[in-house]
Amino acid sequence: MTQKYEILAIIVNSLDEKAAAKYATEHIVKKIKDEGGNVTFEDFWGERGFAYTINKQKWGYYFCAQFECEPQNIDGLKHEWNLDNTIVRFLITKVPKNAPKPQTQEEMEAQWAAEEKEQKIKEVATKTAKSAPKKPAPEKTPKVEEKEEKSTKEEKPKPKKDVIDKKLDEILEDSSLDL
Amino acid sequence: MPPKPKKFICSFCRNDVQHIDYKNSKLLSDFITYYRSIQSRFHTGVCLKHQKQLASAIKKARNMALLAAVRYEKK
Repeated sequence: MTQKYEILAIIVNSLDEKAAAKYATEHIVKKIKDEGGNVTFEDFWGERGFAYTINKQKWGYYFCAQFECEPQNIDGLKHEWNLDNTIVRFLITKVPKNAPKPQTQEEMEAQWAAEEKEQKIKEVATKTAKSAPKKPAPEKTPKVEEKEEKSTKEEKPKPKKDVIDKKLDEILEDSSLDL
Repeated sequence: MPPKPKKFICSFCRNDVQHIDYKNSKLLSDFITYYRSIQSRFHTGVCLKHQKQLASAIKKARNMALLAAVRYEKK
């Protein structure tokens, strides 16, 4: 029973890009075929920075491939690649049956760029919706009228000075009061 | 009776994702914290089935230097 596998390998950065691609085909793809495997998918990513330094190196060439192989042959392949110094690291994983079609790195990056664009458009749309006036403000005329009414109420007709003097005089002159 | 709150659905379940790819580092970077540790599903709302897939994918990506395991200060 053949099983489907995937390998992701890092090739050392002392080689050129062309030389690294050539090395991948010669030492990874060819060895799988020698073991009786069938390579179904190949993708050379090119140079890519590491998330952390490996052997004092900051970047390397990535190579990805999918292949069908018998499980007992995998150990031999692993042993050979472990002894190889030009391959910095590699990872072999089983491909599940429900996995979608493999994407190349270029397709993946294009997808990421498209997603970023969509997000930016959404952000701009939300910003504009916030800044735009929601509803026309209610007219202030009724409030002004109320204020005017209040002011009219406050301005009561004040008694004049002459009237007050007259009243005072009347009170003072009144003999019935004992002041 | 107040209306029942809508049941929150995991973002992977919503898009019908069967298998999470460890090479998709952009997607995985949304599920790690500022200090590069795996974010708990309490905060992300991912279901248990997909959280297990996510965790193993992040660990594989770390092994291949696609993601960092700790945050490095830029010099």
